[in-house]
Amino acid sequence: MFQRLAGPFKSFGLFPGCLYAINRVLGQLSPRFSLLYHDWMVQPIPEKPLLPGRLGQSYETREIPEGDVLIDRMPLRPEVRVSRFAQDAICLGTFRKGELIGYIWLSFDTYEEDEARCTFVLEPESESVFDFDLYVLEKYRMGMGFAAVWDGAARYLRERGIKHSYSRLDHFNQKSAAAHDHLGWKLVGRAIILRLWSVELIIASIRPHVSLLLTSTQRARIRLFPDVLQEAA
Amino acid sequence: MNGTKTLLLREYIMTHDLKVLTDYIRDELGYDGPLDPDTDLLEERILDSFSVVQMVVYIQSEFGIEFEPEELVLENLSRLSGMLALIEKYKG
Repeated sequence: MFQRLAGPFKSFGLFPGCLYAINRVLGQLSPRFSLLYHDWMVQPIPEKPLLPGRLGQSYETREIPEGDVLIDRMPLRPEVRVSRFAQDAICLGTFRKGELIGYIWLSFDTYEEDEARCTFVLEPESESVFDFDLYVLEKYRMGMGFAAVWDGAARYLRERGIKHSYSRLDHFNQKSAAAHDHLGWKLVGRAIILRLWSVELIIASIRPHVSLLLTSTQRARIRLFPDVLQEAA
Repeated sequence: MNGTKTLLLREYIMTHDLKVLTDYIRDELGYDGPLDPDTDLLEERILDSFSVVQMVVYIQSEFGIEFEPEELVLENLSRLSGMLALIEKYKG
């Protein structure tokens, strides 16, 4: 019992551990209550392919259009599926011998988050994209799947002059953080999001630092800049 | 007699190849825990989905071989023993 309670503090540290525990308690009280802890990240689009030679050539990456049967099979709520296409997001699928092994969603110019009510404005517009929901089918995980999906997306983005990609990470998803570490990602900002019914309070490390959203149609508008990449270089 | 020699040579090569792989994991990935040919590297989180790709790239360049993409599956990559068998197959 003690170990179970201490687990999050051991894994995440004192402050994030507290947030994790509060979120669990809120979730028990109501499914409409939550406390999220998000990291907003940026990563450079690699200039060289990740997968070498024949290996890289054995995968094909292409857009999966709205209405395609593959979209319908994705583990997404129908309203999320609709809202992604409504904001002009595209879904890039990676295939091997015609079989879908995984996909990634990309949004240009702006991105409307579907977990917190944030609208991200991507700067500079012509060189930026927001990537989200990278999914690899189970049988391809831990093989080449993740790298193949990202490699295909990077090639697609390079061809369009995109230099970096923003993404949102649940702070407690350590597995995803570890995988993305290889891609050279950096922290742009961090936010704590308290949700009680339709009210959302966002406290962020970047401007606007505090947003109180009272109705379900209100959204916080957050501009993301890639400066941390230059600082790191 | 020739059979014994062949076996010894094969064992020597396997030991050498195993050392190349363990050295890579220790030097490049900084892992200093116990390492056995049958340790599940992915389960134990010694490798993840990206470092496994980097390791494949390293193996191909170190041994001068190029794997068929269909061979690069979990069964062949999750353990050093699987990687060794694959290397041996490609080295002929």
